[in-house]
Amino acid sequence: MKHLLCRSFVPVVCAGSLFLGATANVFGEESNSFFKSIFPLSGEYIAEETYVGDGDVRRGPHKGVRDFDENDSILQLVFTPRIKLGVLRLGAAWERFSFGFPDSAPLPDTLQSVNLVIGLDTQLSDSILIRVEAQPGVYNTGLDDLSDDFNLPFVIGGTYIYSPDLQIILGVGVDVERKYPVIPAAGIRWRMGRQWVLDAVLPTPRLEFEMNRDVTLYAGANVKQTNFRVDDHFGDAHGIPRLDHAILSYSEVRTGAGLDWKISPVITATGEVGYQPYRDFDFYRADIRYHHDGGAPYGMISLHGAF
Amino acid sequence: MKPKMLNFQGYFPAKACGLLVLLLLPHLGSTIARADPVSELAAFSIFDKVDLAQLARSEVKTAHGPPMSNPRFLAVQSCYVTPGAPDRQVEALRRWDPTKHRELKLFLHSDLPSNPTAANFEKLRNAPDNGSVRSFVAATQKLSSDLQISRDEAKKFPGGGGGGAIPASVAAFWADVLAARTKSFVSGGMSGQPPYDHAGPSIRASDEVNGLLREQEKIRRQFSGLLGATGIGRGAGSLKPELYWELLDVDNQGVVTLGASYSRGGAGGAYQSADVLYYASGGYYVALTLYQMWPVTVEGKASTLVWRGDMISAASLGSLHGVERLGSESVMMKNISKAVTLFRRDTSGGR
Repeated sequence: MKHLLCRSFVPVVCAGSLFLGATANVFGEESNSFFKSIFPLSGEYIAEETYVGDGDVRRGPHKGVRDFDENDSILQLVFTPRIKLGVLRLGAAWERFSFGFPDSAPLPDTLQSVNLVIGLDTQLSDSILIRVEAQPGVYNTGLDDLSDDFNLPFVIGGTYIYSPDLQIILGVGVDVERKYPVIPAAGIRWRMGRQWVLDAVLPTPRLEFEMNRDVTLYAGANVKQTNFRVDDHFGDAHGIPRLDHAILSYSEVRTGAGLDWKISPVITATGEVGYQPYRDFDFYRADIRYHHDGGAPYGMISLHGAF
Repeated sequence: MKPKMLNFQGYFPAKACGLLVLLLLPHLGSTIARADPVSELAAFSIFDKVDLAQLARSEVKTAHGPPMSNPRFLAVQSCYVTPGAPDRQVEALRRWDPTKHRELKLFLHSDLPSNPTAANFEKLRNAPDNGSVRSFVAATQKLSSDLQISRDEAKKFPGGGGGGAIPASVAAFWADVLAARTKSFVSGGMSGQPPYDHAGPSIRASDEVNGLLREQEKIRRQFSGLLGATGIGRGAGSLKPELYWELLDVDNQGVVTLGASYSRGGAGGAYQSADVLYYASGGYYVALTLYQMWPVTVEGKASTLVWRGDMISAASLGSLHGVERLGSESVMMKNISKAVTLFRRDTSGGR
């Protein structure tokens, strides 16, 4: 008798990470029972802080905002209970960009999102996984006026499992407040060797080197774009009335290198440093855009994991 | 392996069978034999609705097993229809050589006598020189914490290197470990196996396989007669196992493993088989595959309805959550489909 054994238990990246920043835990140990006693459901979490040094943006030849820094804070907790259809994703997330603009700058010094995470990972066949995930919430410049700052971006994506070592990811991200509401994307996750993984999937494409069971080094990028609505009097306050209650698309790209250190089965610490080569503030409906004019170094620390 | 006949319980009452035949007659000429197995299949497996005629025309049907509370455990079930009677399937499984399919990443396979010596593992010296085997050798030479051996076994490693894909000292070490574990299995079943405690908490393969079966009660009940006569999860049973060892790849790491197969026939030409990998040097703690085979007639031809349950316990599964776990299950299902498809192609001329 021949066993015809399944011989691979590698994690498979999911299409939803194309737009939503899902993280893949590539380590191999069992969950911590202490964590399970607090959260009886399985789930994942992230707490992350990034500081970007002084950079510049410019609007036309004469207007610009110079030497401002940035803090980007993220908290997210998503429960992932198993149901017959697949894996539910239910949770909440908060992200806040704080910019050190001078008082006169016609840009909001805070951009903030508070949203739910509602999604489902399911299996279409033994080769195809599908993720549908919506992030309904408030995307604005603070919590003082929530009147109609609601938005509901969502993603639909699929992962084709070509082999345990190679997965192909396709998907679309939909946000009606974006200049281009539907953006398609594609990527691959390829285990090139025992220690090397090319995880070329947005928003965090990476080349990873697994030093050992607990430490992974990587180099890559982080691509961010979110749409926020500024408050009802933002334009008046800055002498540009058409910016009242306007949509601002904020985009940035970070490139850097970092280290994931698995402290325990459910806690991974990440440190990353690099350079931010691109940033853009675009009130595209009002045709006012501050584009990148000077990059800046950044540092990021994060605690994340799954339980 | 010589399948032993025994008195299986009857599969389905004749009256109910007749009623089902009336209901199913319009469907492509399957006969009386189809109703019993389908009902029995539905009673213990995840496949509660199977159309034999449709299944006979399609590829392997796979599905996730029931969710299990132990995060190290994973189960997948599959079913398919294949030409020929069950005894022919059992014989074909016995004769099939998966090593000729490189994509299955099974490098070496060798049957073992019931009283093996280190000489029965000489093929290790002929292992291919590839990344998986090199990783296996490197892990052995530094007695890596990833190695699943006992403390006593670790003490016996002499160190040293040598030429070849697997140096002589490494091959000799593993030959001794595997021979001793095989003898221990023959005399004391899985209960007699030394634990994996070389570099971590003590794990016993018998506990793992019993845990897997405990969490799938319907399957455990369906196979209780067979399993009770084997050494799977317990002391040596009354059935004589067919023993073998393999060198294979698990997640790009070479792994040596020991297996035992049991099979026996039941009433009406049905068969049950159990195949356990009761020892692995890494990658997984234990793996068990159960087969239930029923004779059926599909479109006038003698065929076999095969249900297969694959269950595995692996440390690396414990860290997978959410979509990662879903993905790993998909990979497992895909691998099983691939292996079964190759088996069917090799043994029945393809479908």
